[in-house]
Amino acid sequence: MNATVISIFIFIVGITLVITYFAAKRTNSASDFYTAGGGLTGWQNGLAIAGDYLSAASFLGIAGAIALFGFDGFLFSIGYLVAYLVVLFIVAEPLRNLGKYTLADMINARFNAKKVRGAAALSSITIVIFYMIAQLVGAGALIQLLFGIDYIWAVLLVGIMMTIYVLFGGMTATSWVQIIKAVLLMVGTVILSFLVLKNFNFNILDMFTQMKTATPHGEAYLSPGVKYKIPLDTISLMLALVLGTAGLPHILMRFFTVKDAKTARSSVMWATWIVGIFYVMTIFLGFGAAAFVGSDLITSTNPAGNMAAPLLAQALGGDVLMSFISAVAFATILAVVAGLVLTGASAFAHDIYGQIIKKGQATERQQMLAARYASLGVSAFSILLAIFAQSLNVAFLVSLAFCIAASANLPVILYTIFWKRFNTTGAVSAILTGLISALVLVSLSPSVMNPVAGAAIFVGDPIFPLTNPALFSVPLGFIGGWVGTMLSKELDVKKYSEVNVRANTGGFRQL
Amino acid sequence: MTKVITENDTQQDARGEKKVTHERPVVKEPDFQKIENSSNFRELMRKKKTFLISTTALFLGLYLLFNIVISYTNWLDAPFIGDITWVWVFAFSLFAMTWILVTVYMKKAEKFDAMAKATLKEFDYDEEETK
Repeated sequence: MNATVISIFIFIVGITLVITYFAAKRTNSASDFYTAGGGLTGWQNGLAIAGDYLSAASFLGIAGAIALFGFDGFLFSIGYLVAYLVVLFIVAEPLRNLGKYTLADMINARFNAKKVRGAAALSSITIVIFYMIAQLVGAGALIQLLFGIDYIWAVLLVGIMMTIYVLFGGMTATSWVQIIKAVLLMVGTVILSFLVLKNFNFNILDMFTQMKTATPHGEAYLSPGVKYKIPLDTISLMLALVLGTAGLPHILMRFFTVKDAKTARSSVMWATWIVGIFYVMTIFLGFGAAAFVGSDLITSTNPAGNMAAPLLAQALGGDVLMSFISAVAFATILAVVAGLVLTGASAFAHDIYGQIIKKGQATERQQMLAARYASLGVSAFSILLAIFAQSLNVAFLVSLAFCIAASANLPVILYTIFWKRFNTTGAVSAILTGLISALVLVSLSPSVMNPVAGAAIFVGDPIFPLTNPALFSVPLGFIGGWVGTMLSKELDVKKYSEVNVRANTGGFRQL
Repeated sequence: MTKVITENDTQQDARGEKKVTHERPVVKEPDFQKIENSSNFRELMRKKKTFLISTTALFLGLYLLFNIVISYTNWLDAPFIGDITWVWVFAFSLFAMTWILVTVYMKKAEKFDAMAKATLKEFDYDEEETK
């Protein structure tokens, strides 16, 4: 670690702590804690959504994957971006109009039933925990490489920072950490892209021609099929990505930080532009790393390719740029895990404690205490899991989280908004069928059982062929909801009218 | 429809004197089924659903088509300009499609907002009043 790295690093930690200090003064109620008082503007929330969404897996992972696998490395980005249309068209506005703090609030605007809330909280918590383990394990490995400290200390460092942000500054601190991270990430990516393009003489055609010979893959580098060779596997994964974003609880929670559906809508617009431009630039980062760093050095530093972007920075901009990009990666990790802690805490403290155990009668003080205890609990639990998972291959947990979101959350959201006949039994069975089928199928899949030792958690022949089960578990979630609904006679047409009117007009909000 | 009535809650204390404890707005529950069946709301939902269903079918269709084509065929490996192949062109079209549909929706949504507002006005709902 050199002096530049340490000073940039301390600067970022310092700034986020100052933010947390001021945010803490403004966090006096449960609404402040979970939604920053609902006072964010469209562009602020748009940047925060981008900050919440673009994880280290996106920044370092995609740049590395493009460097190593060419087009196939870029493939995920298409799914990650198109997914925002599902968010914008179907979920964002009804969610804002019906909900208060969590996804469960929105579904319970129609079914005031503890079992529905419990099921929704369960799926949110499952998604958050999986996503978090993947982030923390990845973060530990990265920080180990970037700053040369032990894995355990790296995980603890990230863990303690995220706990401080959420515990004291709640959603206000989390949002601003995410906004600053999004800006830093865009600045870093623009600088790197500019340097890469400069080295290709700003000639895109020439860049593609050079890439044909720059890697061991030859011409195949520019075509699909280098990494993803099994058609149904690819399609299943891409389905999880495009449908999953609209069910990710930490993304959904961001829509409660704005005042109305109109602002929620404009925040998706901002996020879509930022996220899209970012993904386009990852192509330059990946190509640049392949051409100017070389796949040998990238894979020898980190077999998954995660160090491609920092190595590229080193090659094109020297120590200072390398330090800056490392610091950006660190900020990226912090912003994502803080959002996850807050979301996990909201499911435990608001849904399970506040609404199910206390039946919505908890005092403001009790709600705040519960939120803070839950944040501590979620943080501590994830840190422990991340420390134990150090040597496991958990990268698939990110796409699994998208798969659960698409299978367990999206069907129930759609049915709640659009299907008059839908009822309590259907809501519970939609969530549980999606959740359980995703979990069972993935545990029988090559992601968990692989004949090659070390490639997955267990050694053995997979029973289910697809690495990501979305192609089956998403339809199962929809079927589960339909069957559950039909098995019960319950039908509340009046309540649906209310939900329909409130979701689509933004009026008659229950405050 | 929705009338906000401010009632003075009164209760008798131990000495039998009536006293005003606090003021509380009482919101009468609107008739949502009536609103749902109003011509304004039905028109809003008809326009909204037409737009959402057609655009969702379009973007999900193109997206799935892209994934199926690149997974099962080599069609998109043909060159477009120089060494840039059609697969990159299709991929960028999906990016462009996303941005275009977002922009189109932002325009459309303003019309939906106006129609929603008309519905709310018809039924005397004023957001400021109920806050």
